[in-house]
Amino acid sequence: MQITLHHAHEARSMRILWLLEELGATYNLRSYDFFNKSLRAEAYLAIHPAGRVPSVEIDGKVMLESGAIAEYLAEQFPDAGLHRGSDHPERMEYLELLHYAETIGQHLANLTQGHIVLYEDWMRSPTQISLETKRLAKVLGRLELLLSDGRDFLLASGFSAADCAVGYGVWLAPRFVSFDKLPHVAAYRDRLMARPALQKALPPEGAKRIYSKDFYEVPDV
Amino acid sequence: MSATLHSIAGSRSFRVLWLMHELGEPVEVVPYQIMDGSLQQEGFKALSPARRVPALEIDGRVLIESGATLQYLCETRDGHDLMPAVGSDERAEWLQWLHYAETLGAGIQNLNMQHLFLPKPEMRSLAVMGIETKRLAIALKGVEKALADGRDYLLTSGFSAADVMMGFTLSAARHYVRFDGFPHLSAYQARLEARPAYQSAQAAEGAQQFYTQDFYELPEA
Repeated sequence: MQITLHHAHEARSMRILWLLEELGATYNLRSYDFFNKSLRAEAYLAIHPAGRVPSVEIDGKVMLESGAIAEYLAEQFPDAGLHRGSDHPERMEYLELLHYAETIGQHLANLTQGHIVLYEDWMRSPTQISLETKRLAKVLGRLELLLSDGRDFLLASGFSAADCAVGYGVWLAPRFVSFDKLPHVAAYRDRLMARPALQKALPPEGAKRIYSKDFYEVPDV
Repeated sequence: MSATLHSIAGSRSFRVLWLMHELGEPVEVVPYQIMDGSLQQEGFKALSPARRVPALEIDGRVLIESGATLQYLCETRDGHDLMPAVGSDERAEWLQWLHYAETLGAGIQNLNMQHLFLPKPEMRSLAVMGIETKRLAIALKGVEKALADGRDYLLTSGFSAADVMMGFTLSAARHYVRFDGFPHLSAYQARLEARPAYQSAQAAEGAQQFYTQDFYELPEA
């Protein structure tokens, strides 16, 4: 299988880079700068018409949408054990978590927009940023509940592609929400960070990053 | 025991209700409204910890992600053609459309927030409204382009659950983006709305209450 991943450091494509490493897949990596116009270049727009990452070329076919790509890759590499097929007792939870990853991701995307992409104060809506921060805390609360039975990963049976999908959001979230009241989520994040595959998906030393601050305070309303 | 759908008319819950009607599965609808506090009832939090709809009680469990719910229903119910099997040619494309519909859904949710739910104009961000409207139009253009080869539905093999994900998205998107430049999209949406299951689901859902206008113009800067 010929796989090429189009990626920007710390963007949603990190989910797929991490997953490819977990799967032990062979792939080509093309990295783009999130802030310059490289994602708007003709050559890239031919692959992804909206100029977003990730996109993946798999044997010449293009796939967009990190959630779809994660599901599909996990299906394609059943021996890696990161998939829960339709006959698996955890199938329902697996699907739910794969999609929940984007429920979390949408709030993170909105906060990224509010804090970073809209660089002038007048462009922002502090009310919206405050609401999105609260909603992010709420959706993480559901993970806290799930993890509070002491499981190491999202599914009781162990690490799966759902951890890459949701884990990206958990990796990013402490820049916007304190984890003080989310001890199980915090410990889960530590377990994820200890995985060599996640470490490989992080930006190399000195690379240009989307998130330059450790914490983004909600602006005064 | 028949399934119970906790639903807000005009929200993503419609996807689940419509698919249940396509499958001929019995389902009881419990209606909620966004602004009347019904989502804050204790009983509802037990079902959906982040207090979101849809929440579908089925097979002794609860599903809250519309995309995951559609996948689960397709996998556990027989006698339909709504999902390409794992390993089939259209599998990747189907997964991509399923998730793509929710990428559009996220944009719509942000526009709903700005236009409908932030009570005072000064709470809004005109920059966010402009960006989100533009992004929604670009994402819709992607669907228009796919349909331009004359296919009736997202997959060339015919109607599938991906159309159910997208159909709801289109009806909501029309409040923010005019479809004048999208002839294929308009015809596609009309095909979806003509389906008996779409119509019976709409009757079962009741009238939506949060859009009070057919179209929301961007406010003047």
